[in-house]
Amino acid sequence: MDHLIYLYGLIPTKEIASQPLPSLKDFEGSGELYTMEIGSITAVVCRLDADKYSEDQIKERINNDMEWLQEKAFHHHETVMQLAKIFTVIPLKFCTLYKSEESLKDTVQSNESKMTEAFEAIAGKEEWNLKIYCDDKQLKEQVSQNNPAIEEKRKEISELPRGKQFFEKKKLDKLVDSELEKEKNRVSEDIHAHLTEFALKGHVKRTWSSEVTGRKEEMTWNSVYLIKKSDVESFLEQVQQYEAKMEEAGWKFEASGPWPAYHFSSFA
Amino acid sequence: MQPASQANGKIHLDPDNAEHGLAQLVLTVIELLRQIVERHAIRRVEGGTLTDEQIENLGEALMNLEEKMEELKEIFGLDDDDLNIDLGPLGSLL
Repeated sequence: MDHLIYLYGLIPTKEIASQPLPSLKDFEGSGELYTMEIGSITAVVCRLDADKYSEDQIKERINNDMEWLQEKAFHHHETVMQLAKIFTVIPLKFCTLYKSEESLKDTVQSNESKMTEAFEAIAGKEEWNLKIYCDDKQLKEQVSQNNPAIEEKRKEISELPRGKQFFEKKKLDKLVDSELEKEKNRVSEDIHAHLTEFALKGHVKRTWSSEVTGRKEEMTWNSVYLIKKSDVESFLEQVQQYEAKMEEAGWKFEASGPWPAYHFSSFA
Repeated sequence: MQPASQANGKIHLDPDNAEHGLAQLVLTVIELLRQIVERHAIRRVEGGTLTDEQIENLGEALMNLEEKMEELKEIFGLDDDDLNIDLGPLGSLL
């Protein structure tokens, strides 16, 4: 029977020499993870039956079997989190598979210097995520009340005949919408720039639609930061200050972490 | 029954309260048509081929339509989110 190798993460060998790998369940839940020492880098892996986990079979399940995906993605995340608590880890994406131990070894060997750099970049640091949400309705009121150009326009419109008013109002609504987007972006970018001062690196991600978040507020900003452990507290304090200052105006801030350094340890 | 105001992009057709689900469905369709007409009208106005009088009539008609729609929503206890159906991969209706 052929085996595939499922790679969870990469760890500096010297770290695992002083502290052994804890007992962690494998992908199927029946066996345990094991380590593969490849020079200065150690891979944390498990075996998977090649007949059950072909590329097509995995794609099929990811697209059609939500329950499976949820369970397995959670397993992957939990496992990497546990590793990250103990070691400096380059976390791998969900379902990173190699054909054999040999092919994994080749990949690690040919990327060793980049991986070593990644270890240095993330050692002693944490990844934190920040999501900013806005109550658009509340913000829209503020934008349309505090903007003199809009105020002026509104006055003009109120003097028009009723039918014309309708079209001009629609135009104005559009203007308010676009001003709102600009304002939200401007504010979020300022906050991001300020927070990046507390981090070593910051990275802006795509925002999620409300279907994904299941929230009424729009997600306005989604970013990740690589922060020195000693700076995390001041980073979070800053977020709290923003929250305290802007909550009443319809802004919400959600910082989460520490996460495995998914966004700051790519070696490809 | 789930209250209609619980917006999850679904039409609630409850056997004991069918008229409410039906009202939601009918209003959803009307709202879609109303918005299509409105957008089309805006394009015509911006196209600059209508006379002032035509624009005035069109605007007034659309404004009345919008007000009427608001009244109907009020009567049936529906809000904007209730009149938006989740079309799955196509996104939402409105």
